[in-house]
Amino acid sequence: MTYGVLRRGGAGYPSLLAQLHDPPARLHLRGDPDGIFERPAVAVVGARSCSAYGAQVARTVARELAGAGVVVVSGMARGVDAEAHRGALEAGGTTLAVLGCGIDRDYPARHAELARRIVAGAGLVVSEYEPGVEPAPWRFPARNRVIAGLSLATVVVEARERSGALITADFALELGREVFAVPGEITAALSAGTNRLIRQGAEPLLGTEDVLAALGLEAAAEPTVELTDAAARVLDLLADAPGGHDELVRSSGLAASAVAAALVELELAGLATEADGIHRATRIPERAA
Amino acid sequence: MLARATTHALVGLEARSIEVEAHLQRGVPGFAIVGLPDKGVQEAKERVRSGIASAELEWPMRRITVNLAPADLRKEGSGFDLPIALAILGASQQIPLDMLAEHAALGELALDGRIRPVPGAIVAAEAARRTGLAKLLCAAESAPEAALAGIEPIPVRHLAEAGAYLRGRHEPEPVGEPPPYSGPPPPDLRDVRGQERARRALEIAAAGRHNLLLGGPPGTGKTMLARRLPGILPPLTREEALEVTRIHSVAGALPAGQPLVAYPPFRAPHHTASTPAIVGGGPGPRPGEATLAHRGVLLLDELGEFSRPSLEALRQPLEDGLVAIARIGGRHVFPARFLLVGTMNLCPCGARGDPGVECSCSPARIAAYRQKLSRALLDRFDLVLTVPRARSQEVAGAPGELSSAVAERVVAADRRLRERPPLIGEAAGTVLGRAVDRLGLSARGHARIARVAATIGALAEVDEVLPEHMAEALSYRSPSELAVAA
Repeated sequence: MTYGVLRRGGAGYPSLLAQLHDPPARLHLRGDPDGIFERPAVAVVGARSCSAYGAQVARTVARELAGAGVVVVSGMARGVDAEAHRGALEAGGTTLAVLGCGIDRDYPARHAELARRIVAGAGLVVSEYEPGVEPAPWRFPARNRVIAGLSLATVVVEARERSGALITADFALELGREVFAVPGEITAALSAGTNRLIRQGAEPLLGTEDVLAALGLEAAAEPTVELTDAAARVLDLLADAPGGHDELVRSSGLAASAVAAALVELELAGLATEADGIHRATRIPERAA
Repeated sequence: MLARATTHALVGLEARSIEVEAHLQRGVPGFAIVGLPDKGVQEAKERVRSGIASAELEWPMRRITVNLAPADLRKEGSGFDLPIALAILGASQQIPLDMLAEHAALGELALDGRIRPVPGAIVAAEAARRTGLAKLLCAAESAPEAALAGIEPIPVRHLAEAGAYLRGRHEPEPVGEPPPYSGPPPPDLRDVRGQERARRALEIAAAGRHNLLLGGPPGTGKTMLARRLPGILPPLTREEALEVTRIHSVAGALPAGQPLVAYPPFRAPHHTASTPAIVGGGPGPRPGEATLAHRGVLLLDELGEFSRPSLEALRQPLEDGLVAIARIGGRHVFPARFLLVGTMNLCPCGARGDPGVECSCSPARIAAYRQKLSRALLDRFDLVLTVPRARSQEVAGAPGELSSAVAERVVAADRRLRERPPLIGEAAGTVLGRAVDRLGLSARGHARIARVAATIGALAEVDEVLPEHMAEALSYRSPSELAVAA
């Protein structure tokens, strides 16, 4: 395991981060920083107790960004943050976790394995705090300024009215960086913060290509998969709207057993996922130009 | 004067032969029962005294000692009343001893001399047959049950009738094989509207005897579905029915007038039930719910609310199909091969998974709720699925397929699984291999899914499991929200 420290003004210190009005004096690293800070980076942040929709969007956006060569930056918290890291890892991409505690603390404890995978996947776990510093709520806003500072753009997936992710967005705006917000239902408390961001002028995120276009990058071509007829039919239905198994049985006209098999086929192909009994397509459908 | 009657005492699910000796001596009139009687047997004194008086027989004004041999076995229950009364009547020469010696006797006495049924008649009758006694004097209600054991039951309604019979002055009506069960059948799957996935899972569970875990918000019909499982299980063979009847007889759970259990039993203990109530126990010991559900279905509604020791105690029956209870007096083994159905909410408040309500549970509370179920227990569930809330058009929709139609497929698949179970084909193996890589299946989860796939193949009447069967089997693996990586 490689550990390192970058000093403000010293070699290797990320130039984007130096644009903050109070950049961290030192940046502690876990992992090998080899060229990571020269690559385009995008923050994907949001609520801890996110919805299945938020989790899915975070994972998909992160996967597609990472697939296009973007470094996905997030805070390794529960919910959206963790999904963003996982999505990037799923694409075999690089991801960067910014902690609000020492890099030797496994916080949250359940993400110890995730941190290990991030570093193993040529990513980094970074923090401005000395090793051994305990996590504390008042350190998280400061951590969010590092997330925004390291990223060319920030995507807020889900946020309540008063959410730490909005602090990240504020820092990004201060730096003149692009902010994207994922639109949500106007009745959902979890989308109140993101919808408000959009009203205030943040770019609504309708697909990963919005972010990539802002960075001047191309989306990686998703590999095409051979699907059985049943799976293709179910995928078409899921592309319209997420649904439960029994609704799909009725709308597809297929037997319950065939729908179950089709859903597993789609899941194994990475095209659909399930949470709380609701299945949804994982890819954001192409928009008509 | 000394007289002997024979009866049987229940020890677990077995009956031990007990000799009831009555000895009349000169001396101050009195009545003592010895031979390790419990409180219920001690109280027989009052019932026997009143019963004999009510039958207009004579209570001997002697010093009466009744001994229950073997004297080192604890005697429980009220079934000793009739044999004690008969032994006293024999000792006072009111009934012929040679007739008494040809019969076993079992029954409780009412104060007016009527004879009441007691639990375990079939087990006592079998034990009587084994000890070479061909006739059992018992309550009229117990007679059909005793007839199942291949013994001649002598139904007696009253102690006076028993006395008259033994003196050759009363001919009891013969008791044949009991009539087949004619009570209401188990609830039918027809009542379940929509719920295609859950119906399919029930069919697979019934065909392959796979334990089933139903998750979902309250009021979505999880319990209703589980109650319909006995109606689609393969019917009990005669041997199995007798086995279940014995257990239910000992537990006193047989419905009146229907001695032979016709359908696989269904048991649904409440989550406040104690561990002995669930797996069996007590000084006796007595069978618990797990044994009463033998060859049937055990439903644990709100699995997470059961005490952890109760749930852990179920691991032995789930693994071995029996419950072993160790006592100083010996080890008792109760059969307990049941299909386990568990239901649980997705979170403590129950709102999770219900689109209409917002869940108020913190992630820490949800984690604590789910951690209550040990991995070892969750691993015993082959089929895990979420039952969604039915929408209004479903509730008003057409009735579902009849249980009898589903049962036909289940019976055919059950036979196929026993005779020539489908093998995992190469293509199906590839699907499973990809799932292992992508979903991180454990070796145990791997075996479990292969087992479910074989059942699905048997339902599809194929000799080789196809990829779609394997894919469907994978769809019943523990979903992430129940925090059970298969």
